[in-house]
Amino acid sequence: MENYLDILSVMILISSFALMANKRIKSYINTFRIQAMLIALAAGMMGIETYAAEKRVDILIVCLLIVVLKVFYIPRMLHRTYADIEYKVGKDFFFNIPLLIFVSFALVVFSYYCISDITGINKGELNLQIVNSVSVVLIGFFFMISRRKAIGMIVGFLVIENGLFVTTLFATQGMPFIVDIGIFIDMITGIMIMGIMVFKINDKFDSIDINNLKNLKG
Amino acid sequence: MNHIAYFILQGSIILLLAPLVNGIIGKIKAFSQKRQGPPFLQLYYDIWKLFKKDTVVSTVSSWVFKASPYIVFATSLAAALLVPTVTGFMPKGLPGDVIFIIYLLALGRFFMMLGALDTGSTFGGMGSSREALISALAEPSLLISLITIGLIAKTTSLPGMMSKMQSMGAPLLHPVFVLLVLALLLVILMDTSRIPVDDPSTHLELTMVHEAMMLEYSGRYLALMELGSAIKQLLLITLVVNLFLPTAPFAVAGVMPFAAGLGFYVIKVIFVSCVIGLVEVYTVKFRFFSVPNIAALSLILSFLGFLQFFVLGR
Repeated sequence: MENYLDILSVMILISSFALMANKRIKSYINTFRIQAMLIALAAGMMGIETYAAEKRVDILIVCLLIVVLKVFYIPRMLHRTYADIEYKVGKDFFFNIPLLIFVSFALVVFSYYCISDITGINKGELNLQIVNSVSVVLIGFFFMISRRKAIGMIVGFLVIENGLFVTTLFATQGMPFIVDIGIFIDMITGIMIMGIMVFKINDKFDSIDINNLKNLKG
Repeated sequence: MNHIAYFILQGSIILLLAPLVNGIIGKIKAFSQKRQGPPFLQLYYDIWKLFKKDTVVSTVSSWVFKASPYIVFATSLAAALLVPTVTGFMPKGLPGDVIFIIYLLALGRFFMMLGALDTGSTFGGMGSSREALISALAEPSLLISLITIGLIAKTTSLPGMMSKMQSMGAPLLHPVFVLLVLALLLVILMDTSRIPVDDPSTHLELTMVHEAMMLEYSGRYLALMELGSAIKQLLLITLVVNLFLPTAPFAVAGVMPFAAGLGFYVIKVIFVSCVIGLVEVYTVKFRFFSVPNIAALSLILSFLGFLQFFVLGR
């Protein structure tokens, strides 16, 4: 079981690298969907395990929520938002892709360096799953600052959220149910507000380029 | 005696199986376009026909042009003879060293580029400069991933590495090897001129890489070139297949275990060629300057595998 979870955490890390290597907005929404599927798989495996051991169903419910929200609802909403403003397709990132990938790799090395030092439950022994999921969080941050368009930033935010969820899942074998639900509701409202904001930005400036926000005048 | 039997068997397996991989990939592509497609054995027919034809050699070319098809064919066949296909059937004392094999292939590729430059045609120069870039980008990740496996197995000889990996049960259930197998699959796409990098069936001059280098060759020389690149492709697939996918439990001698191992091997090769074919169906050819993106991804995946092995120490 641990072995499969190790592999899933590595796959989630690979999917965030693939997200970094994508050029077009459509393709990174799809890659985000794949990452959400992997996370749902991890949650499902852990949920079945805890159900068999302690008769808890909360992780299974969370897994279901991930499938409904992150695999179906949010990508579809992002696609729809993008379809309305698609006519301005441009380059979405500042640096070239190999440089972005190398920086993400440096972030992974950094998290290895930091977390291998932890004194706590692990007592210096490296937990591969936690290292990988913390790297996903850092890559999400970097994704967010490396993109110029608003939708890219939303995807970056979602990747950060994915990373945090996976970290808590792997570190604590599932958070208390109420905390998970709270995070989900936060995320949903956040995404909805951001979707509306994208429309507003598009209305005001005729593009979703974030650089235009620098020119705000009263 | 043992050595001679090994070489005859291995050589015939490689030579008979190598063109089949192209046939399978072509068939998958044809099915995805609702065509019948050429038969599985098309490349055998092509090579047979080419061997019977005359060759045309440009008057301005030197001996390099005539020698390089033989060198390409010989290096890839020599490298392929050192990669055990049906595992466990390799006599002791052969230099099956990974680095040696990689640089044998590099020698063949070097002469292929020289031969393309030799006639002084524009396309040859273009193709060989592109090939040089792609191979320089693909080589580090190939080396890093194979050396990581070598560090795990504590040997650089391929039979040793393969038997160590096979003794671990299912190698793909280990996170390091998931990273390495993805890196190696990307390397295969880059090195065998498959679709995201180079379209093998194109004859549009501006996009071709591998075809541009063979444009001046005809007849027997072209057949040798085609066979050499097919063998190289099978060699790389064999590396992935025998390192990462489980083999039949092998015994050293006897006809039945050998036949079982051979059947298993053929099934695995067909599986990996189906995967490559599906990648060809589902992706488009990248712009040439996007090739470094794939190379960077492959390099990082292999290096991540190395790092995880290094940090975790298992």
